[in-house]
Amino acid sequence: MKITEIQIKNFGKLHNINVRPLPGLNVIYGENETGKSTMQQFITGMLFGMEKQPEGTEQRDSYQQYEPWNGSSPYAGGLKFTVGDKPFFLERNFEHKEKSAKLVDEMNGEELSVEHGDLEMLMGGMKKTAYENTYCIQQAEIETKKEFVDVLQNYFVNASSGGDAEFDVPGAQKRLLEKKTNATSRYEEKKSARNEAVEKLYLEEELLKKDIEQLQKQQKDSHNNIFNQSPNAIPPERDTNQMAEYLRDIRQKKKQQTYMMRCGISLLITLLGLGLGIINAIYHPLQEGEPGWMALELFLLFAFLGGAGSVCHWFHKHRRLKLLRRRQQEEAKEINLSVSKDVERQKMQEKQEKQAKHEAVEALLQEQLAEKQTALINLQDEITETLKPTDSEQELEKQIQAYELANHTLQALSQNAYEDTRSQLEQEMSQILAEITHGKYDKIGLDEQMNLMVEQGAQSLPPWQLSQGVMEQMYVALRMGAGGIFTQEESLPIILDEVFASFDEKRLEATLQWLSKQNGQIFLFTCRHREMEILDRNNIPYGKIMLSR
Amino acid sequence: MKFIHIADIHLGAKPDKEKPWRKERERHNWRALSEVIRTAKAEQVQLLLIAGDLFHRQPLIQELREIDYQFSRIPQTRVVVIAGEHDYLSPHSGYLTFPWGENVHFLTKEKIDYVELEGLETRVYGLSYCHKNIDAPLYHDIEVKDGNFCNILLAHGGDEQHIPFESNDFADSAFDYVALGHIHKPMEIVKNKVVMAGALQPIDCNDTGEHGYFMGEIKDRECQVQFVPLRYCEYVPLNLKVSREISQSALEEFVASRIRVAPEHQKFRIVLNGFCDRTAPVDPEKIMSMDRVARVINRCHADYDFEKLKLQYEKQILGQYIQKLEEMTQDEITKKALYYGVEALMEE
Repeated sequence: MKITEIQIKNFGKLHNINVRPLPGLNVIYGENETGKSTMQQFITGMLFGMEKQPEGTEQRDSYQQYEPWNGSSPYAGGLKFTVGDKPFFLERNFEHKEKSAKLVDEMNGEELSVEHGDLEMLMGGMKKTAYENTYCIQQAEIETKKEFVDVLQNYFVNASSGGDAEFDVPGAQKRLLEKKTNATSRYEEKKSARNEAVEKLYLEEELLKKDIEQLQKQQKDSHNNIFNQSPNAIPPERDTNQMAEYLRDIRQKKKQQTYMMRCGISLLITLLGLGLGIINAIYHPLQEGEPGWMALELFLLFAFLGGAGSVCHWFHKHRRLKLLRRRQQEEAKEINLSVSKDVERQKMQEKQEKQAKHEAVEALLQEQLAEKQTALINLQDEITETLKPTDSEQELEKQIQAYELANHTLQALSQNAYEDTRSQLEQEMSQILAEITHGKYDKIGLDEQMNLMVEQGAQSLPPWQLSQGVMEQMYVALRMGAGGIFTQEESLPIILDEVFASFDEKRLEATLQWLSKQNGQIFLFTCRHREMEILDRNNIPYGKIMLSR
Repeated sequence: MKFIHIADIHLGAKPDKEKPWRKERERHNWRALSEVIRTAKAEQVQLLLIAGDLFHRQPLIQELREIDYQFSRIPQTRVVVIAGEHDYLSPHSGYLTFPWGENVHFLTKEKIDYVELEGLETRVYGLSYCHKNIDAPLYHDIEVKDGNFCNILLAHGGDEQHIPFESNDFADSAFDYVALGHIHKPMEIVKNKVVMAGALQPIDCNDTGEHGYFMGEIKDRECQVQFVPLRYCEYVPLNLKVSREISQSALEEFVASRIRVAPEHQKFRIVLNGFCDRTAPVDPEKIMSMDRVARVINRCHADYDFEKLKLQYEKQILGQYIQKLEEMTQDEITKKALYYGVEALMEE
């Protein structure tokens, strides 16, 4: 592409300016504040359009920056250019409310569509970011920007193939990552729901285990009980009243003693009656017939008879009582005996009942325990089952792995792809830098992250470790090298806005000589005479455009 | 002698756990068993063969009481049971101590044993699982004892970890009938002789097709069996071929129409195949949430023509990407990755 005419209607401080640059090298000279940068912005604005940033953004964008100072004529302009000798005319109105672009093929008057990418096609597919990072060097912006890494990478990947479609590899990778993140969060959601269920089951398991422990303890306790229980402390029940018996016994004993005593007394009286009667009869025989002694003898006889009768009587009573008591004792003994047998039997029965009861309890406990243990086994089975990822989790897991695989494969492929182009670019850059620096630096490359590195001897140095001048020369080499590769299809104007300020005389000369050998159109903006003097001295032809206040 | 052969009843299983009809499904197995009992009574069946996995897990005593009650309703029918790998006889198993009714015979040994059924002149051979897995071929070369008996083998398993056997192991055996369990799909491996009963009712949505029991009769040592389906639940496979002309709502409408005309006990397991419009891919979640849809397996992909793309962008990253992924061992992940990568590259 060669620009043949620049028509500025109204752009920043410039209005109604018409410039016809040469197809080769052009020097645009002007002192400060004559609108050099404005013109440079106009050219890129014409080629790539200019967007007004939405209201409220702090940053001043170029739209605002170049909004006309003088509002009388429109914020617009035109550009005539040729692509492969075919003339085109491009007109733009930058006014954001009535923004328009018109592209006409001047050979046949046919109108092309900027909107549908006809202009981009004419420029060999060059994008604004790529352009601004290569051929268009704005004032004090010689270093490439961060996005250039993506631009380069994409370019490398696509350039190496030579096909007509462009693939945005970093963009694709970003999309893959986004989708992977999405799938991952869904996966995590499902997984955590399942984990919750597992937690719940674990809790149930814990409770069951406690139940089992409890049951086992109960079982043990009841087992111990049966053996440690003390013999029955409650006395066996009886039908007889012991106290009454006891009292009766005492009463009978007393009675017996009384009978005995009375029997003794009676015996004494009997013997006394008998003895005294005999004595009385000897001393006072009946023949003497003394009535006193007779009466005494009679009285003694009665006493003897009465005493004997009484002895018999009491003795008999005593004997009966004695027999009664013996019988009673025997009876009591018998009762006692039978009672203790009963008690024995009762005890036995109780023991058996207890045993049975105990066995029943034990059986019940055993059953409950077995039941719980079975439930525990089942629960543990369920836990094992729930621990396995579900179908949908497995599906998501596969998706995540697939996204990862896709991403890695793209990464590897793009790295492979640009390996070739990179070495081409490195060669190109190195050559340019060698020319500019008269061979002092002849090896310049890009590291894995696409950062510039210069090799000096055995060392690899980043540009910022070198002097400002050399650093700038390296970036020029990178930009020109990359630009050269980017514009293989269609050359584009090289725009250099006050780029060589820190270049010394010798290197500037070398740079200009290198530039003059390039096929493309060059716009060199400067506020010094230095460049023109060197060009004149070296007899290099160039177009001179003078801007004035 | 009339008999019924069932297997894999899986009492206590909980199918379709995430579905609103899960409660109803939990009851199906008990109801199906109860129907078998009713049939046995009505048809005066003399022998009920249960070829393992009566329970889904270790049976609880209360469950055994319930099952024993069911068996007690058919006192004229002899019931022979073995345990499978799901309800295997663990040392605590309730099966071992449960006081079964007189008509129930449980073969509790883990080696071939038999029970002689008096009055039926029949011997039923079999064994129970005392472990979850048994990899020994315990059904190989079973010696059938002499005597004028009808001989039946009740067996469970058939895969590597569950007593492996070949179906023709039994074809020439001395058994008059081989009643198998374990594989959930009902099939007559050797007609009227070696029969896999299949699950009484499906246990999960992968058990598609009809399920039920085999009703048979052995007369003069000749056996005849017939499959009798039970219809509490059936999973119907529905394979749908998607194409880019079919929109999501058309797809849903089609599925809904199929469901509408299907008998009520049927539930659907849907597999989506084919290609969908890459700008509007099918949403399987939506179909999944439809009534009576048990599962959706989405195997359909965006309609990329990889061969064409590969040729068209042969030297570019897209072509290389397709080439590279096609060179990898083809599995689900590489297939997916192929789609994902192409999609990401083609996307604007």
